[in-house]
Amino acid sequence: MTRPRFDELIHAPTRLAIVSLLAASEVADFKFIRDSVGLSDSALSKQLSTLEEAGYVQIRKGFVGKRPRTSAKLTTVGRAAFEQHVAALQEIVSRSGASVLPP
Amino acid sequence: MSEQVHPDEAARALDQIRDRQEQVINVSVVPAWYWWLVGGLIVALAAAVESREPVTIGVGVTVFVLGILGGTGWVVRGAVRVQPRNELLGGRGVTMILGFVALVLGITLAVAFSLAAAGVSYPATLANLLGAILLIVGGPMLTRTLRRVMLNNRAGASR
Repeated sequence: MTRPRFDELIHAPTRLAIVSLLAASEVADFKFIRDSVGLSDSALSKQLSTLEEAGYVQIRKGFVGKRPRTSAKLTTVGRAAFEQHVAALQEIVSRSGASVLPP
Repeated sequence: MSEQVHPDEAARALDQIRDRQEQVINVSVVPAWYWWLVGGLIVALAAAVESREPVTIGVGVTVFVLGILGGTGWVVRGAVRVQPRNELLGGRGVTMILGFVALVLGITLAVAFSLAAAGVSYPATLANLLGAILLIVGGPMLTRTLRRVMLNNRAGASR
């Protein structure tokens, strides 16, 4: 049972989108995140750096052939924070009497 | 802070979480044409081998290898961009995949040996034709079921 804990860092809409994508992934390519969330390279870099500084995301830089490739993955700490945040959101919704189950 | 979040906002955030995770899951979905490709290629390979013509066998093997490599490469290209978490599939999903492979292989081999024992011409081709039908009919069903399993296993999908 995950203990609910609202996380302001994750709750910001753009970061919530990024962390949600990463929560369903082992690892995600920078371009995939950028295109999925609809951010510029610099805006995504800034958000990923914020999450990395919090210890939520690990950024990997490498090469595929001669082409540079940046990818990101959620750390154990980040995954736990995300799951606690989801539990907190569910608690808020269920306290209001609404269903938290998808339609 | 959580006390300041309105339930509607929390519900919208949960919807967004589910939608974003669905984006990742959709990348891993096997398209229906892939099952037609694999089915067609195994029938073509079996027919080529049973023709016993060296040139036909060579062409058949080449087409099979190139077709499988090209088709599979196209399907798994999404994994280069994003790799869905293994936990989304879970033990149930893995069991379904292994069960489907075992079912198709078991039926195809049983039919092939039975036809060969009965002296029917082109037993492997006919058996693989049945195997191809199983892939074409069952493959998309398996894909839909696995997608449903992954959607149910994503964060925020249940209480």
